[in-house]
Amino acid sequence: MKRSRGFMIALVSMVVFVTGCFGGNNAETSKESKAVESQKPKEAAVAPGEAGGGKEAPMLAELVKAGKLPPLEERLPVASDIMIEPVVEEIGQFGGDWNMSWKGPADKWGVGMINEEALFRFNKEGKAVEPNVAKGYEVNDDSTVFTIHLREGMKWSDGMPFTADDVLFYWEHMLTKETFGKKIYDAYYSVDPVTGDKALAEVKKVDDYTFTVTHKYPSVQFLERVAIDNKWFFAPAHFHKTILPEFVGDAKTLEITKQWGYEDPKQFLVETGYYFWLHPEIPTLAAWVAKTDANSEQFVMERNPYYWKTDSEGNQLPYMDRIIENQIQDPSQQLLGTLAGKYNFATFDTANFTVLKENEKKGDFRVIPWTQPTWSSAGVQLNQTTKDPNLSKLFQDIRFREALSIGVNRQVVTDIVTSGLGEPIQASVPEGVIGYQEGWAQHWAEFEPERANQLLDEIGLTKRDKNNFRMFPDGSDLTLTVFESDTNKSAFLELLKKYYEDMGLKMNVKMVEGGALFDLKYANEVPIHTENISVANVAFRPDTMVPLRIITPWFGHYGLYTQSGGTEGVKPEGDVAAILDNWNKIKASKSKEEIDQLANEIYKLHMKNQWVIGYAGPTPMLLVASNKLRNIPEGLVWADEYRTVGHAHPAQFFLKQ
Amino acid sequence: MRTLPIFKRAKTEAFLESAAKDINYSSQWKLIYMKFKRHKLARISLIVLGVLYFVALFAQFIAPYSLQSYDSKYVNAPPMTLRFVDADGKFHLRPFVYELKSARDPDTMRKIFVSDTEKRYALKWFVQGEEYKFLGMFKTKLHLFGVEQPGRLFMFGTDAMGRDMFSRIVLGSQISLSIPLVGVGISFVLGLIIGGISGYFGGWLDSIIQRIIEIIRSFPTLPLWMALSAAIPPRVPVVTMYLYIVIIFALIGWTDLARVVRGKFISLKNEDYVVAAKIAGVGNTKIIVKHLLPGFMSYLVVATTLAIPNMILSETAMSFLGLGIRSPATSWGVLLQEAQKVENVALYPWKLIPLGIVVLTVLAYNFLGDGLRDAADPYKK
Amino acid sequence: MLQYSIKRIVMAIPVVIFISFIVFYIIQLPPGDYVSSYSAQMTAAGEIMTQDDMDQMRANLGLDRPVYEQYAIWIKKIVFEGDFGYSFNYNKPVIDVVKQYMGLTLVVSIVTMLFQYLVAIPIGIYTAVKQYSAGDYFFSGLSFLGMATPNFLLAIILMYFSYTWFGDPLLGLFSDEYVNAAWSWDKVVDLLKHLVIPVIVIGLASTADLIRVMRGQMLDELNKPNVVTARSKGLSETKILFKYPTRAALNPIVSTFGWSLSSIFTGSTITAIVLNLPIQGPVMYKALLGQDMYLAGSWLLFMALLTVLGTLISDILLAWLDPKIRTEFRGN
Repeated sequence: MKRSRGFMIALVSMVVFVTGCFGGNNAETSKESKAVESQKPKEAAVAPGEAGGGKEAPMLAELVKAGKLPPLEERLPVASDIMIEPVVEEIGQFGGDWNMSWKGPADKWGVGMINEEALFRFNKEGKAVEPNVAKGYEVNDDSTVFTIHLREGMKWSDGMPFTADDVLFYWEHMLTKETFGKKIYDAYYSVDPVTGDKALAEVKKVDDYTFTVTHKYPSVQFLERVAIDNKWFFAPAHFHKTILPEFVGDAKTLEITKQWGYEDPKQFLVETGYYFWLHPEIPTLAAWVAKTDANSEQFVMERNPYYWKTDSEGNQLPYMDRIIENQIQDPSQQLLGTLAGKYNFATFDTANFTVLKENEKKGDFRVIPWTQPTWSSAGVQLNQTTKDPNLSKLFQDIRFREALSIGVNRQVVTDIVTSGLGEPIQASVPEGVIGYQEGWAQHWAEFEPERANQLLDEIGLTKRDKNNFRMFPDGSDLTLTVFESDTNKSAFLELLKKYYEDMGLKMNVKMVEGGALFDLKYANEVPIHTENISVANVAFRPDTMVPLRIITPWFGHYGLYTQSGGTEGVKPEGDVAAILDNWNKIKASKSKEEIDQLANEIYKLHMKNQWVIGYAGPTPMLLVASNKLRNIPEGLVWADEYRTVGHAHPAQFFLKQ
Repeated sequence: MRTLPIFKRAKTEAFLESAAKDINYSSQWKLIYMKFKRHKLARISLIVLGVLYFVALFAQFIAPYSLQSYDSKYVNAPPMTLRFVDADGKFHLRPFVYELKSARDPDTMRKIFVSDTEKRYALKWFVQGEEYKFLGMFKTKLHLFGVEQPGRLFMFGTDAMGRDMFSRIVLGSQISLSIPLVGVGISFVLGLIIGGISGYFGGWLDSIIQRIIEIIRSFPTLPLWMALSAAIPPRVPVVTMYLYIVIIFALIGWTDLARVVRGKFISLKNEDYVVAAKIAGVGNTKIIVKHLLPGFMSYLVVATTLAIPNMILSETAMSFLGLGIRSPATSWGVLLQEAQKVENVALYPWKLIPLGIVVLTVLAYNFLGDGLRDAADPYKK
Repeated sequence: MLQYSIKRIVMAIPVVIFISFIVFYIIQLPPGDYVSSYSAQMTAAGEIMTQDDMDQMRANLGLDRPVYEQYAIWIKKIVFEGDFGYSFNYNKPVIDVVKQYMGLTLVVSIVTMLFQYLVAIPIGIYTAVKQYSAGDYFFSGLSFLGMATPNFLLAIILMYFSYTWFGDPLLGLFSDEYVNAAWSWDKVVDLLKHLVIPVIVIGLASTADLIRVMRGQMLDELNKPNVVTARSKGLSETKILFKYPTRAALNPIVSTFGWSLSSIFTGSTITAIVLNLPIQGPVMYKALLGQDMYLAGSWLLFMALLTVLGTLISDILLAWLDPKIRTEFRGN
């Protein structure tokens, strides 16, 4: 264990070092973003002299030569508006395929996130956003008017110009009309700090490359929330005009729906409007565009000839020609394929750490760990509003939660469940992630079975049944039922059962299929679940920590109460109410400092109450890349909010010859 | 192939004179028994199965550790060698093991185990260990063999949670060797009766039964199991739940046998001797039992002995789909399902030992079936 | 005989209709529906699915209607338009999904089946004729080994060995470069290479069964009076072997042959998942798990048709093989 500690420390310090490096970069980029107009691409101006040869991929140069594609300068935005993507290690070489495995079209996001172009994206540290599709922005003093600049001469992957009209079109004809199955995102509403009144923003075009978003009340976090809720605040108007019923009429849309092989026009519009990257017909701004049917065994995406980013030497990105996603049916195939070098990039959880590490040399790949902002890798959430009144009273008792926490030997759980890669700590925000609290990791983390039993006796669970299990004071049966759909959790649940039953608490596990579990959650039928909380910043994405709607097991129907405006569900009280209170203040807040301070309060309330109990600390996400695949940053944070691998800017990955 | 070797063999296989005398007066069962005794492999198989079932019956006593003896120190430990000669070259009459020390490789995080030659633990009979209920009757701590605490004995290595594989295999045999019999029994009885009725009586009854079989066969079993396992409340232990699933499985699975039995009945019922019996006024039941069943006894025996191992295997498939037994309750299916991860095949091959036991059991059942088949064959001498 | 066949076919129609309803009902028996399993998946991937989103989706897909209504619509379309409905998972008509996988499914199934019968029947005859010889023990042992090893485990082990020995685990049916390529000689060779493991794994299990049944049957038949009579008449051993016992011994194999028609499509599902074979089995397994019910329903209906048809074929084949049954049919 000592050695593994050393390894962890090395790992953590590496992470800190790397994030430190990027922190420096970050300061620069944020400065740039404030003063976009003065940004001068260093290389692009010199480019034409040596263009033609090394500046674009050979496969595109051939097309240009054959007259099938306009020359590079015409495809890129105007020189001053080209986005220059910094490379991680070195300037790359063109060509090659990015070979991966995926679970098929059900895994829409697996291929979506790595190839996504947001209006504003998170910087390396994840603390703020930086321009991406947008060239820059200005905001007035009270954070109500955001003026956003686009890149002049930027084009969709079919060569049509990308302008503010595409943003306005998306806003007016898709988002606010809710054509793609999603309600208008929260980010577009601002809240009156006094009355709590919610108002929808207004979006206006200023010129072809500028538009404004105006809020009625201050919306300090507007850009960050858009970067999470609605990264693609734009859509190819010229394409959607040909399918939306508003433009072509219901009959024609139905006809097109059938032509595409779909059944229902609404579902068709969801697929094309929301999961657009899977369809070769739809132009995008991404580095690679779909070339084959996503349902085929091999989903191929090819480089976008109109991609608007270059490296610092003016080479048009992406470096790699194609993304190839090979469909697999079982995770073991990903592992075997990676060992055999079939896939040059893959991600794994820690269960495969040893076998990957031992084959690093033979397979000519490297394992790159990224930290996850996960509170724990094994833990339980106690549904505070579970249906059985006896049980919910128990779960709401802080002494009961403490007993459950200290009655389990974390050392054993961690060693078995995480292969020694995690720490035996409480569910808490890891160091280096926003919301970190001193001492949280050690909160109720010692193994003290006597004290646990004493606490349970204190609560009044002194009666025992014939099997020596504790009963409720009224003599009714006390069973802790954990609902689970993931078979990989079985080892942890076995250990949990052993320790809980050592305390005299009967525990059952009910395995259900994923969809059924989802329904059970909504019906508030899940008293205990093992979901781990993973959140990069509560202020950006509150869903798992603040009971806003039904989704996270620990708050159960408190969420329904908020969602329904108080007509259904259970009214939050005490510290849960305090969390909601803080959240409402965040939404109406006028400054980032205030938001940070309020968010910190929410974290502190979680630390105090530990509705989510962790028994093993978080483990890193393992990125496994062929040694030929370069420019992959080390030690970033793996989070959905940052689009997982997308955070590494895959357009600058390249295959070294 | 000038003469069928089967006859040559029968000739060369010298009958004992005395035996030949007995044969003339022996009952059919005695004949079967005598013929079975001559089938060497079948006899060995019977002994093997006997041992396996004996072990299953006294599993708690024989297994040194329980199913819940998790130990984070001994995760994925390879099988230990029982030694007679210690590090100094000294011979010990009593076999012993060394203490196992473990540490993680800091680079790959693999647990590395080193024998500490300073500390020896001798193998002992009747040692005190974890408490269990002997045959479900009284509590005891006595185990057949083991080593003294804090020493550990892992003859087949350990699994990913530090449990002794040998104990798990022994304890797992209780489920794997018993529940399949229930399923096969139900299928066998249903298949024989319904298939027999269908084939013997024929006509509209046959048509209806055949249509019912077609309908039952098209039941999608997967959603049925999913629905069933979702409907069973969480307090029902997994083993009981598995028993229910096996029964349901058997209620669907009899159709295969029924169809074959029917075919046989149809072809046999017009044999001269059956027709003769009918004309002589022999009752249906008697005709079926005395004249028809022996005609394809051998098929039934083969089908049944094949069905039992098939049930053992189908349990492993159910575990693969997440519908079978779940640890800590253990069956061989659970062990195989745990073994089927690539990393186990690559790094911890001893987790495949249960496969050997399953193969052994299946082989034993099949050779036993062979022997029974040959013995039951009325034409063979 | 013909009359009998027609009668049987007519009788099959109500059975198929009844099956179609049962199947449709059972698919929806597990808790949850397509939208809940879809939402669970999307939520796990980080997407936010609210109750409204899900209700909307249910309405779009017609899942908010009662089961019998969904069934009526589905059946009506099948009967009147030949439209088997729509796969939610694939966003395609069911027919297109089935078509996409049918080719390779047939390739795998037929090759495996050929392998089974070509290996099992001769070995079955051989082991019966040379009972208790070294060859008998060898083949019996081998077939038991194949039968005793669970398919998925054997598949994993073979893939791992293929990786350690040849550096390629032979996943799927094609190497990456051939998946989307047009058919060529190289692609066929590549396919054959990838077929080795699936054929061994899928084929071995049933081969063992077949060998055992065949051997047992042969042993029964070899001592029958008709064989003895034939021999006394001086017919050659080979001729006797193939004229009487082999034909009779094939009886039980044939009577279940019809059913192996449907089992070759579904029996290999787990192996196909482990080996990543792009065939129907896993597609249907996924459809059943995710309650993609029109896809699963149509498929199961198709399987039921095959079972019914298979029984019919078996009966006719049996009659052809066994003269005694033939008279039975005439009598009908």
